[in-house]
Amino acid sequence: MKVGFIGLGLMGRPMALNVLNAGHEVHVWTRRAESMQPLVEAGAVACTSAAALAGVVNVAISMVADAPDVEQVALGPEGVAAGAGAGLVFVDMSTISPAAAQSIAARLAGQGIQMLDAPVSGGEIGAINATLTIMVGGDAAAFETVRPVFEAMGKTVSLIGASGAGQVAKACNQILTGVGVAAVAEALNFATRSGVDAGRVREALLGGFAYSRILENHGQRMLDRNFKPGFKAWMHQKDMRIVLEEAHRLGLALPSSAATAQMFNAMVGSGLGEDDSIAMLKLLERMSGGA
Amino acid sequence: MRVGFVGLGAMGRPMAMHLLQAGHALSVWARRPEAAAALVEHGACRCGTPAELAAASEVVITIVTTSRDVEDLAFGAHGLAAGFERGGIHVDMSTIAPTTARALAARYAQLGIGWVDAPVSGGEQAARAATLAIMAGARAEDLERVRPLLLALGQTLVHVGEVGAGQVAKACNQMIMVAAIQAAAEAMHLANAHGVDLARVRTALMGGSAASRVMEIIGGRMVDRDFAAGIQARLHHKDFGLVLAEAARLGVPLPIAAQVAQQLDTLMSNGWGLDDTASLLRVLERVRVGAG
Repeated sequence: MKVGFIGLGLMGRPMALNVLNAGHEVHVWTRRAESMQPLVEAGAVACTSAAALAGVVNVAISMVADAPDVEQVALGPEGVAAGAGAGLVFVDMSTISPAAAQSIAARLAGQGIQMLDAPVSGGEIGAINATLTIMVGGDAAAFETVRPVFEAMGKTVSLIGASGAGQVAKACNQILTGVGVAAVAEALNFATRSGVDAGRVREALLGGFAYSRILENHGQRMLDRNFKPGFKAWMHQKDMRIVLEEAHRLGLALPSSAATAQMFNAMVGSGLGEDDSIAMLKLLERMSGGA
Repeated sequence: MRVGFVGLGAMGRPMAMHLLQAGHALSVWARRPEAAAALVEHGACRCGTPAELAAASEVVITIVTTSRDVEDLAFGAHGLAAGFERGGIHVDMSTIAPTTARALAARYAQLGIGWVDAPVSGGEQAARAATLAIMAGARAEDLERVRPLLLALGQTLVHVGEVGAGQVAKACNQMIMVAAIQAAAEAMHLANAHGVDLARVRTALMGGSAASRVMEIIGGRMVDRDFAAGIQARLHHKDFGLVLAEAARLGVPLPIAAQVAQQLDTLMSNGWGLDDTASLLRVLERVRVGAG
């Protein structure tokens, strides 16, 4: 299949490489031309705009930062809609609000272009190892068309429901991982400040009901004080903002998410935004005068 | 002065009336013509569009609901910006995002039109009594020109700072006030669970360190279970959306405001958005004490 890829950052680059390695013909476009270089060296074709890319592929994928970026890529003057050939499926794998995804999908549908929202979980490691969890919202037939491409990037690929449903699943994922990181950081800091070896606490807990992937992976990185991203705190802040804006719109109380979102605000405001979200531990230490 | 007025709701109507009574030549525009009827009877001039209103006025005052409403009024089709002469001033007394206020002021500045953000506190009662607390963000010379108008509407007028600063002060006001309403609701809820008389608790507290305007007025509504009157809770819900969006943008943690916002979200989905924010007590009561 001919696949276009827009956005070759920390996540997008390895994802596009995996699509290429699976034998698809890959075309790429990024705002900064030098970002395309590694993909071009691996055999991808560089395009001059998102519109030009959309004219030559069957599936155009975007992996960018936030809703305005997706909007620009999809519907901007040099965007996908401006150049799309017949039958093109646009797949946005960024994390944006369900409402924004639905709105962009509806406008693209008006121009005869199908859109799937397909955000991912699994981080940079999952992107490199092609073990991402991909949560998809949109038309079932379009999903089947794109499935082989999804399977080149991820291990668990699920059609959740109609347009926006993928982003709803991702929002749920971010609630669990955001609150989870905060809980693990609080627990490990609590152990340390109580004079107990936090590493042994983690090990003991891994055998019990508090076991989680976050305690295992993120917990270990906290113990190693390895705050290199991974998943940057400012991105998790953005995702929690999306969650709480949806809650505001729906009239829904999310007290734990709300508390966690404020912690992420504090991280970004105090210069921890470029660290991995596990730097939540550093914030807690600063708040209570530890470490 | 030739003054235009948009937003003749519960707050705006008495405010516009004060301007008329202070001897200003008042023009009004309202989306629903009937909203302006009372003022027109008292001598206000009715305009067909915001642009016409601005053309007839040296200063236009707006008090509407959302950031979007103000943007549309100012720069939408037949908006105020299309009618103002150079040197005109838009005084916005709505509660909107500081960033929106700054953006609108910048667009107006390019046209030689001034901007004052002047949100108010005190509610309907203070609007009627012309005792509003007004917090202004503006260039000093713009504020000086409209000072006599604002003093016809309120008792205290503080020049907080540059454009947008009035809205920042208003955001602070909303955070403190609604958090206090939540605290009052929780206190009432606790007293209730003990089976203690709420009116007496409130009276006792009003004599001590926990005395506050909120406890006096909103606490009173909680005691009387009078949830119908007062400030529509949906407006506070809207304001908390603004506050938390700005907090995320600035990287500022607001742990209590974030929790209060969750209670307001629940209030909305219970259908109490048009009732007073004293309904935060009813949100707590949704979880029945002793149930199970």
